[in-house]
Formats: sequence, C-alpha cells, structure tokens
Amino acid sequence: MAGEIKRMIDSIIDQRAKGNVTVALATKTKLIFKGLNPDRFSGTSPDDPAILAKVRAAAAELGVQLQARSVSNYVH
Amino acid sequence: MELKKQSRDAGNNRDGVPRVVVFFASASYDAATLSRQMNEAFPDACVVGCTTAGEIAGGRMLTGSVAAMFLEGDIVADAASAVVENIGSELSVGPALREMERHFQAPVSAWDLATHVGLVLVDGLSGAEERLMEKLGDATDVVFVGGSAGDDLQFRRTFVLDGGRCYSGAAVLVMLRLRRGFEILKTQSFRQAGKTLVATKVDEASRTVIEFNGRPALDAYAEALGVGPELAPPLFFQNPLGLMIDGEPFVRSPQRAQDGSIVFYCHIKEDTELELLRAADIVSDTRMAVEARKAAGEVRGLIDFQCILRTLQLRQEDRCDQYGAIFHGIPMLGFSTYGEAYLGHMNQTSTMLLFR
Repeated sequence: MAGEIKRMIDSIIDQRAKGNVTVALATKTKLIFKGLNPDRFSGTSPDDPAILAKVRAAAAELGVQLQARSVSNYVH
Repeated sequence: MELKKQSRDAGNNRDGVPRVVVFFASASYDAATLSRQMNEAFPDACVVGCTTAGEIAGGRMLTGSVAAMFLEGDIVADAASAVVENIGSELSVGPALREMERHFQAPVSAWDLATHVGLVLVDGLSGAEERLMEKLGDATDVVFVGGSAGDDLQFRRTFVLDGGRCYSGAAVLVMLRLRRGFEILKTQSFRQAGKTLVATKVDEASRTVIEFNGRPALDAYAEALGVGPELAPPLFFQNPLGLMIDGEPFVRSPQRAQDGSIVFYCHIKEDTELELLRAADIVSDTRMAVEARKAAGEVRGLIDFQCILRTLQLRQEDRCDQYGAIFHGIPMLGFSTYGEAYLGHMNQTSTMLLFR
C-alpha cells in the first residue's frame, strides 16, 4: 500500500484549517516541528508503519479524528 | 519606590488607563519585589513581565534597566493572563487555557484568530520551550509569540512575572483581545548555503545531534562548511542550521561541540532535514522587514523578542544604536531573550508582535 501517510497528513491539515490558509500553514509548521514534513510525502510514498504511527499520534495531539480507513490500514 | 513613582508617572502621563502592562527587567533587580511593586502601581491592569539579558525600549538597547509598555483600551479590548507552572516536568497548558476561557467567557475554539493573540514568557533555563510551544499549538490555533526569560548572561535562574508574583520553572501566558488586529514578524539574518544535513541520530532531551548524514555530527557539519572539525566550533555563531518551512528558516543554533556531537540551543528531531546557513547583516535585514510592515499600514506598537546572540553581535559591532533606529516612530518594547517563540522554539531570531 502507498499514499496513506499523505492522505492522513492532508486530512489533519484540512480538518484543523477548515479552509483558513493561515491556519493550514501553521498546522503544516506544527507538523514539521513534530518531525513530520508534509512535503516529504506523496501519493506514492510507502505506508511505513512507523511513520503511520507517528502521524496517528500527531493527529491525536492536534485533536483531529482520522477516518477509519487510515486507522484500519495502520492496524493491519 | 523610585521605580513605582516612575511607573505611575508614565501611566498618568498617558491619556488612558493601561489594560495591560508588560515589563522587562534586568536580573540585577529583585524579581519578586519588582513584580509586587509593578502590580501595586497598576492594580487594575494585567501586569506581566520577565527578567532579561538586556532590555529594549523606545528604540534603545539597554542593560541594567526596567522597561515597560502600557497597552491601553484603544489597542487592547480585553486581556487575561495565566501561569503554567512546573514546565520542566508535568507540562500541561490546559488549566491555564481554561482560566482564560473563564475570563473571556468563551471556549478557546471560539476566539477570533484575527483579533486574539497570545504572549508567552517562559523560564529561559527550563529547556522546556519546545514542549510548551507544542502543547499550545496542539490546544489552539491562536498564535502565541514571545521569548525565553534571561538573567543577564549569568545562566543561574530566570523569572517570569504575573500579577505581582514571581515564578521560576514556569511560563506566563497572556491572551490579548485586540481592537484592530496584529501581525507577527519573524526575522533572522541568514542565507541558505546550499548544503543539507539530516539529523540521523539525536538525543532530543539534551538537545544534542550525535550524527548528521550517518556520520559524527561535528565531522559532517565541518565538511559542509569546508573546514576541519577542529575549526568548526568558532564558526557555529555565523553558521547555524535552518529548519526550512516554505523557504523560511527556523534557526537551530549550535551551542558547543561535545565528543564529536553538537549540542544545540533547541531540540532537533531525528530525520529532520536542515540547511546550513550563512550570516547576513542583522541591521539591514531587520530594517527591511520592519519597513515592509510599516509600508503596509500603521504600526501602533511593537514588542520585539530579540535573541541574545543577535544582541551580542550588535554589541560587539557597536551597532546597537543602528538597530534601535529601525524602530523610529513606533512605540516599542523588547528584550534580549534566551530563545524565541512563534509556532515553535527557535534561536538567533527576532519574533515581533505588531499592533495594527
């Protein structure tokens, strides 16, 4: 599987920003400070379980609910 | 007593009553006494401050002084402060934010991001700035800007001050609801050198990078600079590393070499990609940044959280007056910090809050 990391990160940014461009950039910056640089992941990035776990932890810290598919892919 | 009189005179000479008093003081003053006296002088205001490594007021870079800014009702509609204690251990910003929510009678999520801005003053020797900023950033999208308290380069103890009390191992948070709005200016005078280093092995807790690019950190850093490892430490100051975000560096400054590793002034996470930076001119860069904001509209006031490393360079080059002159015509206050805060913790930067 590939692309799940990018999808999850995009979801975190979208949910947090709710269309506010400034908040979107701030959220991206916060993710980079957490060690997750959105620019390093694309739709073809492999679904590395360690990074998926990191993204899931970041989502929890930011109070963002990721859709079941993300969690499901991570668990399996 | 003289300080109290001066503070009162300053307050009485202005048209309005201050809603917020922000003050920055040399560590040569007794912080607890000063905090109590400032609070007594302005009993109806939100009174906050910290100790410093140098004060900046009215475009003058000072030492051994107390400098204050009075924010009146035409700028600040409302304000609340709260203290986060024990930041070195059980760091939780929740209680402080709940306290502010009670004051504003609205949840954090309802605060207007265009008119609410947070100030953060944090113990500069706590080593907890990254976690504090991360927790704040997790909890809210309201922007916090500020700096780490200093102690005139003694590196013994720094204090943050709130409501007449004095705290160490703590952070003071201030939430301002502004009449018009604000801008954050983050400026650092560095250029990319075109060399990338990836932190492949770190000890985050001690702010140490053990390996860059899979090699001893000092060797890899020195090679990127084009010098031998023994010649690299004296070049740290002029060549920090930048965590690049949309073309803007968030500066991470090397503090010292240690057994082939490099200890930084802030955390670097494993696998973080960093750019080697080269120093540019602080005065001209900062002037350009401030002038651009002035050109975009009236700046009614400004608070400058200026890295002590920048101040030391300006002192060394005898350019403090030139730096101060950048702010001509703008009511301003600032201090030389042990670290700067905006979205995260950084070094060798000025983070500024501009009141529109």
